[in-house]
Order: sequence, then structure tokens, then C-alpha cells
Amino acid sequence: MATTTPRTKTFKSPAKTPTTNNIYRKSYQSPSLTPQTPQTITPLRRSARHVSRRIDLGNDPIDVPENESKEEMNLIRKRERAPPRKQSVDDVSESLKTPTKKTKVDSEVSFSPVSPNRREKRKNKSEEVKKTKTKKRVYYNRVEFDETGFEIGDDVYVKRREDANSDEEDPEIEDCKICFKSGGSDVMLECDDCLGGFHLKCLKPPLKDVPEGDWICQFCEVNKSGGGQSQTLVVPKPPEGKKLARTMREKLLSSDLWAARIEKLWKEVGDGVYWIRVRWYMIPEETVSGRQPHNLKRELYLTNDFADIEMDCVLRHCFVKCPKEFSKASNDGDDVFLCEYEYDVHWHSFKRLAELVDGDSDSDQEWNGRKEEEEIDDSDEEVEVEEDEESVVRGDSKGKRGLTSVKGGANSRKGRFFGLEKVGAKQIPEHVRCHKQTELEKAKATLLLATRPKSLPCRNREMEEITAFIKGSISDDQCLGRCMYIHGVPGTGKTISVLSVMKNLKAEVEAGNVNPYCFVEINGLKLASPENIYSVIYEALSGHRVGWKKALHSLNERFAEGKKIGKEDDKPCILLIDELDLLVTRNQSVLYNILDWPTKPNSKLIVLGIANTMDLPEKLLPRISSRMGIQRLCFGPYNHTQLQEIISTRLNGIDAFEKTAIEFASRKVAAISGDARRALEICRRAAEVADHRLKTNKTAKSQLVIMGDVEAAIQEMFQAPHIQVMKSVSKLSKIFLTAMVHELYKTGMAETTFDRVATTVSSICLTNGEAFPGWDILLKIGCDLGECRIILCEPGEKHRLQKLQLNFPSDDVAFALKENKDLPWLANYL
Amino acid sequence: MGKEIIPAAEKSLNLIRGRLCDPSYVFRPLSASSDSNYSKLKFIVSTSITEGCNNSILLLGPRGSGKAAVLDLVAGDLLEEFPDSVSLIRLNGLLHSDDNCAFKEIARQLCMEHHLLFSKMASLDENSQFIVAMLRECGLAHKTIIFVLDEFDMFAQGKQRLLYSLLDAMQSVTSQAVVIGISSRLDADQLLEKRVRSRFSHRKILFLPPSREEFDGLLEHLLSLPADSSFPNGYVSRFNEKIKNITSDTRFKDILRTLFNANSTVNSLLKFIFRAVSLMNLESGLLSLENFKAALSSMQRQPKLEAVRDCSILELYLLVCMRRLEVKEQSAYNIISVMKEYKTIHDSFQTSDYYAQNVCLRAFEHLRERQVICYTENRGQSQTGEYRPMKLLISASELHQGMRSHACCPAILLKLLDH
Repeated sequence: MATTTPRTKTFKSPAKTPTTNNIYRKSYQSPSLTPQTPQTITPLRRSARHVSRRIDLGNDPIDVPENESKEEMNLIRKRERAPPRKQSVDDVSESLKTPTKKTKVDSEVSFSPVSPNRREKRKNKSEEVKKTKTKKRVYYNRVEFDETGFEIGDDVYVKRREDANSDEEDPEIEDCKICFKSGGSDVMLECDDCLGGFHLKCLKPPLKDVPEGDWICQFCEVNKSGGGQSQTLVVPKPPEGKKLARTMREKLLSSDLWAARIEKLWKEVGDGVYWIRVRWYMIPEETVSGRQPHNLKRELYLTNDFADIEMDCVLRHCFVKCPKEFSKASNDGDDVFLCEYEYDVHWHSFKRLAELVDGDSDSDQEWNGRKEEEEIDDSDEEVEVEEDEESVVRGDSKGKRGLTSVKGGANSRKGRFFGLEKVGAKQIPEHVRCHKQTELEKAKATLLLATRPKSLPCRNREMEEITAFIKGSISDDQCLGRCMYIHGVPGTGKTISVLSVMKNLKAEVEAGNVNPYCFVEINGLKLASPENIYSVIYEALSGHRVGWKKALHSLNERFAEGKKIGKEDDKPCILLIDELDLLVTRNQSVLYNILDWPTKPNSKLIVLGIANTMDLPEKLLPRISSRMGIQRLCFGPYNHTQLQEIISTRLNGIDAFEKTAIEFASRKVAAISGDARRALEICRRAAEVADHRLKTNKTAKSQLVIMGDVEAAIQEMFQAPHIQVMKSVSKLSKIFLTAMVHELYKTGMAETTFDRVATTVSSICLTNGEAFPGWDILLKIGCDLGECRIILCEPGEKHRLQKLQLNFPSDDVAFALKENKDLPWLANYL
Repeated sequence: MGKEIIPAAEKSLNLIRGRLCDPSYVFRPLSASSDSNYSKLKFIVSTSITEGCNNSILLLGPRGSGKAAVLDLVAGDLLEEFPDSVSLIRLNGLLHSDDNCAFKEIARQLCMEHHLLFSKMASLDENSQFIVAMLRECGLAHKTIIFVLDEFDMFAQGKQRLLYSLLDAMQSVTSQAVVIGISSRLDADQLLEKRVRSRFSHRKILFLPPSREEFDGLLEHLLSLPADSSFPNGYVSRFNEKIKNITSDTRFKDILRTLFNANSTVNSLLKFIFRAVSLMNLESGLLSLENFKAALSSMQRQPKLEAVRDCSILELYLLVCMRRLEVKEQSAYNIISVMKEYKTIHDSFQTSDYYAQNVCLRAFEHLRERQVICYTENRGQSQTGEYRPMKLLISASELHQGMRSHACCPAILLKLLDH
């Protein structure tokens, strides 16, 4: 991956003058400044938290950081604007004392994090009874605080402790390490090692432009090359009287500050204090494994450690980016950090951030949504749905985080899997990050089937048609549900086209051009049985899991009679069914039901069916084909120019393939199947072959994938291996095969019996001076050949009566055996 | 009493037997070269681990050619090389060809591997979702899951839901998995459904029997004792000298050739050597050519011929009668017609061996139990014993050969067989 290698980043600290952001600068009195080196810092805060969590294992871990942070905050709070202290303290002490902490937390979080400005309503009546003091909260998506807007998902600096070395001022712009003047109109350059800033003109020799690639300042360079050199550069001392101001970045990286991501924002109605729930970031030094050699200077880890803190502790924004954005954000100032991994504080393991890998915001929501869901086990809808689930299991599901013993398996949680957070690398493997990719490896990575291309070439017409169809169906006032059948051989981009159309539409929904809709994707082959599709659809629409009969009933009500399911509003529903042919049952009722709903006046259902066979509607009952076969879209196999384009767009900018090699591969595939997956796989295999060739043979001159490699890949993929096997089987097997071919020529019948073959073998052996091995051994040889499926044969117990037949054309056998050195006389019989 | 058993002999016997039963010892020397299947397979799997990509590989080759052994070798090396980032899931087509069972087994092994609790009650749906979730999580943690599907062709039957789900899950970016199928069917990939085949990445590694030179090297590797072991003085050199003598003997080469003529896989060689070594004379503590000869004859038994050799005279009569009926182009016959033939023979030649009908029936039953003859066409179950059509399961030449080597076959029978 490009992002994991040490980045070539040029960094200019902002030349602009401080912006309005500075208004919220804190002015704290802090006596002096003691610069700390990051290496000597011990991970104070996290370890402290760990201890308390361990004590509290049975409880919800969220409590602990919350209380703790509240206490901490009491120390910090100094604002005039802050509401009366006393009440807040009471608050804390009470929540510390109450034994029913858990319920409190549960009620706090039982809301969907995405819905803005939603009033928190307590749904669970029993809880309300239990709780004497009701707390009202107003949740926000965005809060103006100190004249700065904070949104969910923003990253912020958080004050650590009052007595920490907070500097007198908080410089937005760091000073040049040589002249100790900040900013100015000059461009500053950042050293990739010590992160110090330097004016271009202060350097020796002065630089005109920001250099490309890595740049390391002279001091670090000397340090790195060791003390052996005679001349040592003296690090310039700051001028007398000038205090060396540390930026927030420096403080953070030496653990004097914390960084966190805002997960929720709310205001306590009672006292009007703004609170946020944050998810901490961690610097590599604070993890169990410590800073590893491949960690970048500005790297942070996202943890699964949450805390509720008051808004007051927030200092200002910082920007934590994924590697891709990070490499782009070279000019965004000093507060930019890189985060690629998530750190699990319970299990001390690392994991890549899921949303970064998937690359679309959609899954981000889903991911967070799932996390959230785990916490809100007690919201009333859950109770409703999981009636059948024993309360014992439910009870312990709450205590499961941080505990090793989970009753009930990890795999049996009705679609939710607990304990997965245990999966994680204890250390980030070095080969992932410190490895510079060669061109060939880049090519291989981009040719992976899993890599989603940025654009889909050659399918514009089809995509337009799908878009027009869906848009037309949605925007229809009546929304008369319709149905489209998409067919085409495998690997012609059917599913991905539909998905990318949906993605585009989603963007349009967000822009407000298209009415909102809900989208359900189902794969027929992943259903346990065709009927299960009802429960899957129902679950997708309502979020509840029920048996398929009940689901069918509700869906019938929903689509045929227009009754609403749960709180779901009146949006049109788009149903994508992949591998539609798998839903065909004996009486075809499943397909009939699904395709019948769109015809109902109030259904607002649109069905997109995908399958391979062109004539699926014709094979079905007439009442189904009349509902399905009206609108069809065919994805034809790709021709060779299209395949070539697909491959070249993927390989764009990577110099790894000879042009003729790509053409050869695409022509070959187009001639056979027109399957884009196949073409990509051939190219990837060819790259692998080339890689193997180059690695084992260092003297090779061409670093490109050549025709020969593609040829080898195609051979491997398309050629059946039987000829090679026939060439290498034992001598008697060869004679056996020859006898079969001979028999075939003699009688003209494909099928023969062992009796006849054995007689032929014995006569062949006799005339050519070979020892006849005996019938039983011959029978065994025949069965062995049968197991390889070179011949087809009945089980060996039928002995003399066993029927045999060649599985491959007799010409293949003749070709394989003709030029045989051991048995040259075989050619006479072929 | 005879001579004493040398303790060193027993030790060397155990050593060699241990080697023969340890596939990694056998296949290590065969995998040294860069062109071997071992290095090809290892290259593919290790690059998929380091580069975080998905692959699917088929290992094809006749039975006994060391597919699983080489895979084990590779897996062992990889587990050593990347201890944290590889987990191996093994399935066997004979055991798990049923979708439900296969998903359950995968979920179980994943749970074992990651110390999660496994629930037997989970449904197929839950298990398959669990597997997808695990694939994703493992991919995020840079862990590769290697699925080994032994008897791959058994998974390629029916709807192929397992293969489809695995291969489809591997199309997402986060997953990092390798599917390795092992099959002795050369057309295993043709069995795949179109949509499954399209997702399969079709790396194929073909296992062929090693060449003669490699076999010679393997023989020495297996049989020679190590010089620096705790064997008594001189024993090792005597033993190795003897082995060298045997292997350079032309008679030994003939034996090997006969063996390889029938079956030239590594496995058959191993079986052969195991038998030979087990026959080793423990008094002298050395192998001899006779051991190998005996091993060959025990490898290449001729059960049908032996069955004829052990028949009683009456049974031989019956067999000859059936054969005569076949010569008369009476393709279908039953006990009654055979008995009739038997009676005509007896009438015309006045043999001394005439038995009552019930004795003959017993003889028929006996022959059928030994599968020398069989009933044909089990469809018409309504017919009772003596009316059911029968078939001879041995050929004329086998019968002839068997009767020749029979201890007390009447001469008249041989004559009858010919006419």
C-alpha cells in the first residue's frame, strides 16, 4: 500500500496570519516550560484508566472514564461562563454513589447518533421508575462554543491537567529552529525526523523551493550519521529572554495534551453545560508495544476508549487524517496528524480503521452504528424483537466488553458478533508499512478483484439506463413499482454497475435532487433457503429479525396494503436481488410474491434482478415472466478493446506491463469468455510469474511483464493439465490408455469394458516384449486413472464387467503418448 | 535359540520407519529447487500474506503425489515465518461437503483460533455472516486466513454455496484470504459453476511423479543412516555400504522398475520401502535384496487369481461350467442352467466328482461371497435365488492361469475349459 510507506511529505507551516481561530486561545498561567522528550514520557493517563477498569470489570466500562474525566474536569474548570460548580459536583458524587450506574448510562446513550436535534425520550418505563432524578439532555449535531463550531466527528485537542506545563501562549505557528522568529512571509520547511520548522532562507545553503521527497534537517542528519564525524553542528540556542514556545502539536506528541474525536454533543438541560463524548486518540508511546520503528512522527492511534467530558476542556480543532488525505494535506498547518490504525485498549491490539479501507462514508456510518448498537442493548425495540432470546444471555451481553468469558458463542448472535474486537494484531507487522512497493507489486495490488476501480469504463450506456430506470421509478408520484431484469455472463460488471449507480444516486439524494429511498441488497446464493429472503428484506426495512412466515405476512401488509412497518417512513424501496435464479422454488412462489408487490398501487417497490441466464423469465411460469420480463438489460461480454481499456485504466500510471502483453491477454479472454475478472486474474497471474522470475533470476533485464509471462498465465488458467499428467504416468498406465484408444479405433464405440481392454493390453504386451502384469494390477491401474478422471470408469468391484470410457478426446491421448522415449512402439497403436 | 537381535538394528528400523511416516522428511529434499511445487506454492501464499491480497489455488495431481504433504510443509514454514498473521482452516470434502456442516466447521475453527466461544446452535445464516465478519476483522488486523479444502471436487457439487460465499467475500478490499483446493481430479475446476469459476483465481499447481534421478536421491535420503548418530561403531558404515550394494544391483533396479511400471507416485515407493524395511533381518541388522523382493510381491498381489487357486474342486467345476456357457454365447445364465451344464459334463465324462444340488448351492454361495461370481441386474429383486441371472467376474485367462497353479485340479477340467 502506498500509504504505509514513509511518506514523502513536504510541509510548509502556514504563511497566513493567525485567523479568527485564535480567539479561543486559552490564557493560562503557567510558571515555566520544561521541554520533555517524547521517549521519556510514560503513558500516564491510559494506564491509570486501565487499572480502574479492571476493578470495575463487571460494570459498563464507559462509567469509569466518565467519572474520572469529570473529576479531572473539576480540577480544570475555571471558566467564568461555566454554570455553578456545586451542582455539577453533586452530580458527580451522586453518580459515583448510585449502584445503578449502568442503567443511567444506558438511558443516556439510547438514541441514534445520526439523528440531529432529537429529544431524548426515555422509552423504558421500568427504568424511569428506577431513576429518581431524570436528566434531560439536548443532543446536537453541531455546537457553537466559544465562537467555534464543533461537529460530530471533529477532532480536538483536550486539556490534560491543570498543572501540566501549559505554555503561556499557544502559538499557532511554530518558530524557526534557527532564527527563532515565527512565520513571516517566508515559507517554512518541516524536517521529517524532528518535525522542527525551518525557514528556507535560514538553511545552509539556503533553499529556493521546497524540495521533493523526504527532507531531513542538518541537525538530524548529523545525529543520524553518528558522532564519528569531526564537525558537529551546534544546535542554535534560542536568544536570551525568548521563551521557546511549544505548539500544541509538540505538547500532544509528548503526552501533555490529549487528542480526541467527538462522538456526541449534548447540553444538560438542567444546568446548561455542554458535554461531549469523545473517543481518545493515543500516541504510539502510550501503547503497550511502544513506539515502533515504522511509526511516523505524526502518527496517532484511534482507541476504543470513550469518555464524557465537558466542552470546556476542549482547546481547539486538530485534524486527524487517514493516510491518503494526510499525504495531500501538506499545507494545512501544524495540527495535522495521521491515523491509520485503531488500538484496542482492552486487548492491546491494532487494527486498520475500517472506514479508511472501504473508502466510502457509508460503511463508516455502519461501523459506528454497530458500535453504538452494542451499547444500547436495552432500548425498547430490542426488547420487542428479541423476545425469544433468553434474558440470561442478554444480561451477560452487557458485561461482555472487557471480559473474556462470554456465554453463548461468538457466532450465534443473530447477526451481531461479539468478541470480534479480540481479533487484532498484537503488533502492526513491519512488512506492511516499511515495504516500498515495486511497480510490479503496485500492478498486482491494483489488478486485484477486490480493488474497486475509480471509474467503470465501457459500461456507460448500461449505467445510464439503470439510472434512468431508477430515477424514473422514484420520482414518479405514484411510484408505480417496477421491475428490471439484468442478465449477462459472469464477470461483465452487472453488480458493480448497479452498485455504482446507487452510489451516485445517494450523492444526489444528499444534494437534494432526488427523493430519498431505501436500498436493500440481497444475494440469492447467500440465503440459507429461498424463503429466507422475506426475513432478510424485513430486517433490512425494520431492523427486526423474525421468522420468514411472519416476515412475509408483514411484507404483504406493507407492500400490498400500504401499512407501515415500524417507524419506517414512506420512502420508495429499491430491492437488488443478485443471483435471482437461486430463488426459483418448486412452485416459484417466492419469485411470484416478490415480483407481484411492485404491481400493487401503494407498494413503492422497485426490484432489480440480476442473473446469468438470458432466458430466465421464459423458463418460469407465465404469471411470473409477465411480471418480470418486461424491462430487460443485457450486459454483453466484453470485447478485446473494452477489456484492454479496463486493464489499462486500472494500470494507469504504473509502468509494469508491456502494451502487447495486455493486448494479448485481453484478446485471449475476449475470445473465450469476455469475463473481465478472468482478464484481470490473468494479468495478475502474469505479474506474479514475472515477479517470481525476477526474484529468482536477478540478471533479467526487463522489469516489465512480457508476453511470455502472460502466455504462461494463460496456459495455467486455460489448459487442462491432463496432457502433462498423461505424459508422466507410469508405463503400464500409458499402455492401458493406448489399449483404450486402440479399442476405440477398432470398434468405434466410446464405451468399452475392462475385459476387452485387458485382453488388448495383454496382446500388446506380448507382441512388444513387455511383461503383462496380471489382471488385478491392471484393474488397479485403471481405477487410478479413473480417479484422475483421465478415464471415466465404474467402481472396481465389477472387475471384468467394469465399463470404461476416455474422458478426453483420443487425439489428446495420441498427442501425449506419441513421442514417448520409453515406449516408442506405442505410436503404432495410436 | 538363534542369534541375538542387535539393538542397533531395531533402532535403525524405527528410525527409517519414522522417516517414512513423516511427510515433511520425505518431501523436504524434493522441494529444494526454485522450480519445485513447494517454492511455487510458497511464493504465491507468502506474497498474498505480505501484500495483503486474496488468492485461490488448486493443487492437482494423482493420489499419492504429495499434494497435502507439500502444503503442510509450506503451511508449517509460513506459520513459523509469520506467527501472528496466519490462521489455517482445514476442511475435507468427504466430511464437510454439506454446506451447513462446512460453515459450522469453519466458524468453529475460527473461534478456536481466536479464542472465541463457539456455539453449536448457530444457523447457517449466522455462521456465514460470522465468517464474513471474521474475514473482515482479520483483514483489518493484517491477518491472513488460509482455507485448505481437501478433496476439493466434493465441494464443487450442488449449489457450491460455500465456495461462492468464500470467493465472494474475498472480493472485498478488507479481506485477506487464500483458498487452497486439493484434488486428484484433474477436471476439478471444470466442475465449478460459471459464477463461481469467474470468481476463482485459477492458480493451478500440478503435481507430477518425480523423475528417476530424484527417486534415486530420495531412496538414499530415506535409507542411509546418519553418520553422527549414536549407533555402534561400524554399524552405520556397514549398513550404508549394504544399501549402496543393493541399490546398484541390477536386480534391485528391475524390482523398482516393475514397481514404477504399475504406479510411479512417491506414495507407492514409500509403501514399498516400508514393507521392505519391516522385513529386515534383525539378527544381522542389515537389509537384503530378498527383503525388497518380498516387499514387491506383497505390493502386487493378485487377489482374484489367488481366489481361484483356493477354490475347491466343485467350485472349479462350477466356474468351468459357467465359462463353457459363456463360450456357447449364452450370455445370461442362472444356477439352474449352470447345474444343467454340470450334469451334462458329468454324464458325458463320468467324473468322480458329482455332488448333490444343495452342496452345489452352497458352493455357489461361497463363490459369490468371494466375488468370483455375482448376480447381475439387481433390479428384478422378485426373482429368487436360483433364477437370478449370474455373471462370472473373472476372465477366461485368469481362470486358466488359476487352475494351472491349483494344487489338485483334475486334468479333465483344463481340457473342458478349452473345448
